[in-house]
Amino acid sequence: MQDLKRTEQKGTAARLSSFSIHPIWWRKIFIAVSLGLLLLVFVLPIGRLIWLSFTEETGGTLRHYLQVLSEAGTWHVISNTLWMAAGSTIMALILGVLAGWLVTYSDIRAKPWIHVMVMLLFIIPSYIVTLSWTQLLRSSSWFSNMLAWLPGNAATLDLYTLPGMIFMLGLSHYPLVYLFTVAVLRKIPQELLWAARASGAGSMTVFRKLTLPLALPGIAGGGLLAFLANLDNFGIPAFLGIPGDITVLSTAIYQEVAGYGPSAFSRAAVLSVILGVIALAGTVLQWLVLRKSKQLETAHEDTRPRFSLGSWRLLVEMAVWSFLLFISFVPLASMVSSSFLPAYGVDLSWDTITGANYHFILFENEKAQGAIGNSLVLALTTAGTALILGTMVAYYRVRRPSSLTRSVEIVIGVPYALPGMVLALAMIFAWMEPIPGWNPGIYGTIGILIIAYVTRFMILQVRGSITALMQVDPSMEEASHIFGAKGWSKWRKIMLPLILPGVLSGTLLVFLTSFTELTVSSLLMSTGNETIGVTIFDFEQAGYTQYSTAFSTIIVFLMLMSLLVLLLVHNYWKKKVGNQ
Amino acid sequence: MTTTLREVTKLFGSTAALSSIDLEVKDGEFIAVLGPSGCGKTTLLRLLAGFETPTTGKIEIDGVETATPVHVTPPEKRNIGMVFQSFALWPHMKVKEQLRFPLEHHKYLSKELHQRKKERVSEVLQMVGLQEYADRMPNELSGGQKQRVALARAIAAQPFLLLMDEPLSSLDAELRLDMRKEIQTIHRKTKTSIVYVTHDQSEALAMADRIIVMNQGTIEQIGKPREIYNTPRTEFVATFVGKANMVPGTWSAEGFSPFSDPSLLWSSIQTASPFMKNGTLPVRPEQFQLNQEGNGLEGQILHSQYQGKEIHYLVDVKGHQWTVHAPAHNPLPIGTQVFLVPVTTRELS
Repeated sequence: MQDLKRTEQKGTAARLSSFSIHPIWWRKIFIAVSLGLLLLVFVLPIGRLIWLSFTEETGGTLRHYLQVLSEAGTWHVISNTLWMAAGSTIMALILGVLAGWLVTYSDIRAKPWIHVMVMLLFIIPSYIVTLSWTQLLRSSSWFSNMLAWLPGNAATLDLYTLPGMIFMLGLSHYPLVYLFTVAVLRKIPQELLWAARASGAGSMTVFRKLTLPLALPGIAGGGLLAFLANLDNFGIPAFLGIPGDITVLSTAIYQEVAGYGPSAFSRAAVLSVILGVIALAGTVLQWLVLRKSKQLETAHEDTRPRFSLGSWRLLVEMAVWSFLLFISFVPLASMVSSSFLPAYGVDLSWDTITGANYHFILFENEKAQGAIGNSLVLALTTAGTALILGTMVAYYRVRRPSSLTRSVEIVIGVPYALPGMVLALAMIFAWMEPIPGWNPGIYGTIGILIIAYVTRFMILQVRGSITALMQVDPSMEEASHIFGAKGWSKWRKIMLPLILPGVLSGTLLVFLTSFTELTVSSLLMSTGNETIGVTIFDFEQAGYTQYSTAFSTIIVFLMLMSLLVLLLVHNYWKKKVGNQ
Repeated sequence: MTTTLREVTKLFGSTAALSSIDLEVKDGEFIAVLGPSGCGKTTLLRLLAGFETPTTGKIEIDGVETATPVHVTPPEKRNIGMVFQSFALWPHMKVKEQLRFPLEHHKYLSKELHQRKKERVSEVLQMVGLQEYADRMPNELSGGQKQRVALARAIAAQPFLLLMDEPLSSLDAELRLDMRKEIQTIHRKTKTSIVYVTHDQSEALAMADRIIVMNQGTIEQIGKPREIYNTPRTEFVATFVGKANMVPGTWSAEGFSPFSDPSLLWSSIQTASPFMKNGTLPVRPEQFQLNQEGNGLEGQILHSQYQGKEIHYLVDVKGHQWTVHAPAHNPLPIGTQVFLVPVTTRELS
């Protein structure tokens, strides 16, 4: 052993003397530099945030914590937050598991369309969905009038309450549970269940002893993800909680920073750490739960229906479609009709209908026009950067799996796992003075938004590209080397055509998420750099509902258009390459 | 004009996938590398292709040094072609585009081919009998057709060395026999050196000029198919290639006494010297004859499997379980007492 080590060292020395710097060393330097940069951009801001919550001018202190935690209001906010997140998670679980189970196992028809309808509420930003529901339930709407006819107090349905927020969050995030449920249910091989039936188990026993234990980790994983999304959400607490005077942690941080109190940043940092710790607990729990479901990963997906609804099918289908149409299209229709009203509270008729709000948004209001431009620039820059860097990371992650590339993926995932409000605050601290004494003037420009978005949404591209790359067998790439192509010609002729459709769906997700982002930009924006989300929020807060609904309608229309384009590209691609 | 490996070792961590391999592939030779999974044959092929770096030793292809532990010529700069186990046809390219790819990128393409790429594409398509399929996409082809395209793509640029990684293992049994003929025809026409990796001894015996039998990262035996089959030099080769039963006993000047039983002497029998040294005799299943009486090794039939033209018996002889293939016209029931005798020497070799 000793000898071996010595000869190895000698070997290295000899190689070093023959070349000035050996290629292996260049690689090591490259790895070290990029790891350093990663930590700097993705992890350091969070460190700064925690640091700030424990310090003041004179040094380390627990004063901020003691002060914030001694206030009764803080505990009220924390309890609001937990009730809100827990309640909406339960609602998301019930809806998501039910929908997932029907779509995977029953013989219900038009499954792809049900899928699209479920995902629709997930793709449209939650603040727009909320805006549409507030339009449906406003006092003079046809729906409220209809409710007034019903017995009881149904007409007084009020969204600007804690149950209202829970309802909206549950609706916005049940697709997450649905997605996880569908994935795990499809992976349970039908043969397993048949084997149990053949061994004498009845359908209830099969459900209790096989389906449930096999599906539980996946469903729990989805539920925890929904919990995190509920914690993270700012749009719904901002649109409903702020007017209704119900504060949760994300809105509390926002109000601290927006209020510019004497120790606003320190207090906000303390609240962020509390929110971050709750989210971290959720993430760790999710990781532990999902680790258990690994054994099903190799199984192939089975999409055949497993039970028949029989004569109930039509009834179930009608119920499902009424529900799906009611929760999405009906409120959206109310929103669209509000956007054609000349002023809030006017009834819609042929005499009152007007396109003036759209004219105002698109051609008159500089702020709205600026917001569209800003959001477009932000979304394009973020998506473009993520496309290139994220795919590079994904390539190394897939082709050179190691503990190094795995930790790179985890590091990149941290800013997305944290609530957006926490990340936004961390970004302010990190980029106001990246090195003590040097202020590059990024804060207060669109630059900090670009950095924050790239940091936060990079992981979406990395995951999308990983999925795309995993579907390309390594031999495809090896074959291109064998037949003489490497570098750019390999990527242009072989790799890009094969991975682009999958990679681009990741990019589109980054693009759409950045385009309609509200949480991070509400804290990081400055005058002249407003985003679409912030502008809609401002209109709504100022009482210009006709403008906020018109603007939201435009955004929903644009999003549906871009999804349609992606769908067409995918279909074209499938036809060309086929399902291999 | 050869491909050589000199003392090539490949370690993965501390496990040796290949230890000190020496090999020479002559110009135009068809070499089969035969061994069970995990024997290092795929590593050998990937070293020749340039996907792996040798830990020690060096590789030359066509007289060019292509791999040493410090310098490795990447695959795209080697004069090689390759057929992959999974075919590795690019799913977004038509058949003719697949074949055109090496013609556009291969570094050793001759001037002559450079000037007539289009003709070359139809030439190789004709060679594998797929003229009508030039405009098809890979997902519109059957398994056998995909294999032919993969073969055509590998030879399109006329590489010096053709590497094949279990190319027939993803085809069904009948197609495999067809493709063997196809590969032999291609080899005859192109006269390219071929290194063909397989775990199927009948493929190796049927096609190769020479076979390399590998086990646990080392070469067990190199030889012509007949030598490998008839005169194995190690127990592994005898059992892996010939499915031989290893009979213990004593060698003397007169012959072989199984189980050192002086009353039994099998004379006029030969085997390789390593077996004579450690006192064993490899006997292939068809080299035993089962008698119901007479002077032979006594045993009892444990299993029998009817195979149509013959019956495969499992016979228990003093605690050893040996396989014997006997003609099907006289079936023996399970439990029958039998006497095993080797068929005469003339038939043995």
